[in-house]
Amino acid sequence: MKSVLIKPAFACLVLAFSVCCCAQDIDFSRDIRPILSGKCFKCHGPDENSREADLRLDLLPEAISAQAIVPGSPEESSLLERITTDDPDIRMPPNGDPLTDQQIEAFRNWILAGAEYERHWAYEKPKVVAPPPIEHDDWPRSNPIDNFVQAQLHDVGLEPTRPADPAVLLRRLSLDLIGLPPSVEDVVAFERDPSGEKYEAVVDRLLQSKHFGEKWALHWLDLARYADSNGYQHDDLRTMWPYRDWVINAFNEDLPFDEFTIDQLAGDLIPDASRDQIIATGFHRNVPTNFSGGSKVNEVRANVLHDRVSTTGQVWLGMTMECCQCHDHKFDPISQVDYYELYAFFNQAIPELSMEGPGMFRKQFIGADLPVVASPDDASRVKAITKQIALEDAALENAKPYALAEQVAWEKRFLASGRGESIPWERFAWNKRDGYRIIQQVSQDRRTEEEQLQVHALLFYDHRFTGPYEKAIDRLQDARDELVARTMVMKDSRDPVVTHVFQRGNYLTPGDRVEAGVPDVLHPIDSNLPANRLGLARWIVDAENPLTARVTVNRLWAEIFGQGIVTTPEDFGMQSAPPTHPELLDWLAREFMRQDWSMKRIIKTIVMSSTYRQSAAVSSEAIAIDPSNRWLARGPRFRLTGEAIRDNLLAISGLLSDEIGGPSVYPPQPEGLWKEISGADVKIYPTSEGKDRYRRGLYSFLRRGNPNPMLLNFDGSNRSSCVVKRDRSNTPVQALSLLNGPTFVDAAHAFADWITTAEGDTRQKITTAFRRAVARTPTPEEITVLLQLYQKHGDWFDVAQVILNLDETVTKS
Amino acid sequence: MNCHTTNRFIQLKRRDVLRSGTLGIGSLALSHLLTSELQAKETHTKPRAKNVIFLHMVGGPSQMDTFDPKPELDKWDGSSLPSELTKGQKFAFITPEAKAIKSPYAFAPRGKSGMIMSELFPQLATVADELTMIRSLRTNEINHGSGELFFHTGHGRLGRPTFGAWTSYGLGTENENLPAYVVLKDQHPNAGPAAWSSGFLPSKHQGVQFRTGKKPLFYLDNPPGVSSARRKDVIDTLGKLNALAFDRYHDPEIETRINQYELAYQMQSSVPDLADFGSEPDHVLKMYGLDQDRSGQDFAKNCLLARRLVERGVRFVQVFNKGWDHHQNIYQALPNSAKNVDRACAALIKDLKQRDLLKDTLVIWGGEFGRTPMVQENNAGTGAKTAPGRDHHKECFSIWMAGGGLKPGLTYGATDDFGFGVIENPVHVHDFHATCLHLLGIDHERLTYRHQGRDFRLTDVHGHVVHDILA
Repeated sequence: MKSVLIKPAFACLVLAFSVCCCAQDIDFSRDIRPILSGKCFKCHGPDENSREADLRLDLLPEAISAQAIVPGSPEESSLLERITTDDPDIRMPPNGDPLTDQQIEAFRNWILAGAEYERHWAYEKPKVVAPPPIEHDDWPRSNPIDNFVQAQLHDVGLEPTRPADPAVLLRRLSLDLIGLPPSVEDVVAFERDPSGEKYEAVVDRLLQSKHFGEKWALHWLDLARYADSNGYQHDDLRTMWPYRDWVINAFNEDLPFDEFTIDQLAGDLIPDASRDQIIATGFHRNVPTNFSGGSKVNEVRANVLHDRVSTTGQVWLGMTMECCQCHDHKFDPISQVDYYELYAFFNQAIPELSMEGPGMFRKQFIGADLPVVASPDDASRVKAITKQIALEDAALENAKPYALAEQVAWEKRFLASGRGESIPWERFAWNKRDGYRIIQQVSQDRRTEEEQLQVHALLFYDHRFTGPYEKAIDRLQDARDELVARTMVMKDSRDPVVTHVFQRGNYLTPGDRVEAGVPDVLHPIDSNLPANRLGLARWIVDAENPLTARVTVNRLWAEIFGQGIVTTPEDFGMQSAPPTHPELLDWLAREFMRQDWSMKRIIKTIVMSSTYRQSAAVSSEAIAIDPSNRWLARGPRFRLTGEAIRDNLLAISGLLSDEIGGPSVYPPQPEGLWKEISGADVKIYPTSEGKDRYRRGLYSFLRRGNPNPMLLNFDGSNRSSCVVKRDRSNTPVQALSLLNGPTFVDAAHAFADWITTAEGDTRQKITTAFRRAVARTPTPEEITVLLQLYQKHGDWFDVAQVILNLDETVTKS
Repeated sequence: MNCHTTNRFIQLKRRDVLRSGTLGIGSLALSHLLTSELQAKETHTKPRAKNVIFLHMVGGPSQMDTFDPKPELDKWDGSSLPSELTKGQKFAFITPEAKAIKSPYAFAPRGKSGMIMSELFPQLATVADELTMIRSLRTNEINHGSGELFFHTGHGRLGRPTFGAWTSYGLGTENENLPAYVVLKDQHPNAGPAAWSSGFLPSKHQGVQFRTGKKPLFYLDNPPGVSSARRKDVIDTLGKLNALAFDRYHDPEIETRINQYELAYQMQSSVPDLADFGSEPDHVLKMYGLDQDRSGQDFAKNCLLARRLVERGVRFVQVFNKGWDHHQNIYQALPNSAKNVDRACAALIKDLKQRDLLKDTLVIWGGEFGRTPMVQENNAGTGAKTAPGRDHHKECFSIWMAGGGLKPGLTYGATDDFGFGVIENPVHVHDFHATCLHLLGIDHERLTYRHQGRDFRLTDVHGHVVHDILA
């Protein structure tokens, strides 16, 4: 927890910056709105039902007509009176601490200056901003990002740190672009020529790597709450990996973010949609689903749809809308009606869940799905089987005349022997039962063609001429079914589904009817757009949308720098953290759209900046001044995700499989976890053998009901809901996982073997091993420390464990 | 107190760093380490309890057969309940017309307080005067997963922090060597790890699962062939190199990591010690029924472990016990379920009392909901006819609590003649949460966390402290 390191003296210093900014001129968005929103709107804001004294402070005319605010005249403004009075009975806010003198002064100055309201910045389109000029010629700059960052540094009295050591920079870049460490050879080559041109060439090479998609997909899969099971009781398995692979491919092919959005939200509704575009709609089929005993189909559906609205809001709009299920938003200008208008877009989906079935516990998905095969090999096997079925079909057809010729005799024998009765009813497939009834009840000459066919079906089932063919076909079809899974995708009903506001959020008490629509506070939806998810998706990526580009670049930025320019990436509303670099955010958002929503290009812009290329190695004082590095006077440094740590340790040890995509794999995990899942049908974890034990973390099977504890130990999510920002805790169970977890012990053994055969004397071996993990050359002292350990036990395993567990190994520096 | 602004729970451990002067930690870090507080966080009001042991009977015990006698139900046995009572009510498997079924168990007053309990809990009856019984709990959910989530997070869907996580967040930890929030279970609850999740709170507040037996944590054992001494060498070397990295980066996370590796090393011996009952005197083992093999021993072990954890300053111990979902054959199964926990529950209360820990500990016993006064006679899965059972019921259920700040011997709240609904002093799950937090010195309206632009609470926008049950 870096924040606790602020010494009181430094804390005051940092505070002082903001104080001196405020005292000079009052900025409504910066100084006033956060207080209004945080202290007043709950009772005097957009929500009609919780409004006190019929007073609204979120709209200036209302505040003026109530004389709460009299522009230019603080003395006459009742607001000021109520926040300054000593009488606790009437002082506002009624609960919590009174406003500070400083806040009161800000209000006084603001009212005195005319009490100008501004719309919340996030609801205005990103401004056209020119990179500010910087007077410090000696500060390195590579692109406009640096101008914005350095202008801010200048204002707060800080200066940038020297560029990172080439080896460390290359490792940082490699981790950011492909999630894996660079090879020692690449590091050495870059150290030889760490020029800007060479750096850019490496950036381009890594952006083209097939591992780029794997690294960036992980972040998106958290947002998409992708998992391989339903969640809740039973926690049945589902086949959603085709969606995961679609995400990887989309990043690798640099699918523009607008198309990336449209495909996932509405790929199924695009005219002549490709198979990939339909698979992309798995995004919203990833919602956990409760199929437990007493669940009600409408309740589950409502929960699923609420999740889709909420996830869409957080991921694309930086809007938190959950509270609008029950009432108008307390802080943001989003009404309950706005919410259900969005809900209506999703409410068009066909029924996806059935609570019916042979037993009450046998709940199932009945929504749209697509057949998928696991690999090209399987695909060719399916093709071969299909061909074989066709051959058998033809043979069957050939056999039929014989069968027909025998039919009369067969039917006679069949009835006379009484065999008809003796054949257990269940032996006949459903469609064949009718055939038996027809033999008994309808004579041959009076049968319709349909009836005759049904008798044939029965006859063939039990017939020596056709039976072998039919059996072969059944067998082949079973074999084909084994190879073909079905992945869930979106589909809308043909007939429009009516949506009502749920009163108090309860699906059992529908209120007013609403039509699909978008929140009034944002740009209107083009009337030419269809009133379905496709229209919604196109509205989301409309250039008029003030949020989508900002919210997206903010998240990409956070992946690289450890936190966003807005540190509440899921919320850009009134209660959000104000951007640390508002102009930079706007510039990046516009740049992102200008570059055709290319994620690769905007990521390249970010990593090409000198800001990114700074060293993270600074003094304790520098860290104390800005513990969270919000002013970016140094390079990013933070712990990797659990998946990335595992990927890195496997890569360093040489165990990592570089296979991409396909069904999820089952790396070793503690025994019995799946047995513990309540009501589960699938209780045996089918631990993978061979290379599949060492695939990258995003391919590990994620069972929501009891995920791999290693993942959870490192703040991984069970993906039960959209995760915009993962924690980065630092705990003893992490140490235990890395020291004793079987996969990491395997890695340490493999790494020890690698060191044993590495070239050179022991010091050279240690040097190369160290560089494999953290890229930079170890100092003589570091080598000596490791050498002493090696000499004590004479086993490279200990050295391997130490290197794999170094803070620098599990951290991006 | 708005907790997220003053994040003061640090997982640092001071003394090891201080002891090893070779680590080269700068003066800034030292001052930080010296001031890193381990004492409990400041509370809103004077806390009456410091720790919680929450015994969750997974499945939902029947209130009519345990702690809420309904003699009137005898008369209605075999008839449908009045339709005005059942109309529009949600049930998991039965219909509102299902026939009532009486309880076959004898109820009697226990202890000086005369608290009424059924014959299923003979041992618990001996500590009746320590308990506070609430017969008027209500919840919103009728399914296990969502019911458990509601009972623990105040919300019926995935994604919210649990009561234990809120407690860890609100009060911090008292033992730097153990997690603040430990989960023990003989059955995985239906909601899975979501039942001990930190939700949107920082993930260090999530419950850490300890397993029954000698190895309570995963990854505690060294790999084959690695001795404790050799492991110590690895940890020491790692510490030296990480200290050099600290000199380079001055990132406080590095110091934390050094400490976490030291702590991990200590936990490799301290955690198995914790789970080793060898040091417990015979009479204690006997009290819990652990002197010989009995059914339900996992629960008894978990109760004893819970006491040992609380004794060592673990803030919140969550225990899950299996087998209370009596849809069918309830009169065979319920006595077994009760027997499995009766002795251990009583032992836990006595044990805490003898050690003077009960006054600081809040013990809670209950399920995620109650059961219907009406019979369920069909298997929920196959529809086949079964021996009688009872369906899920959210309108009322009974729980008991004991310890810090409660009125012992009190029976609170009342249900109607059938045990169908609350007629007096209803206690919603939100009220229950508000009351528990109050006992811990926390105002449930002020323990908030900013998430998605909103200050969230355990009690959402609901909940009232039930002052009537407070001492």
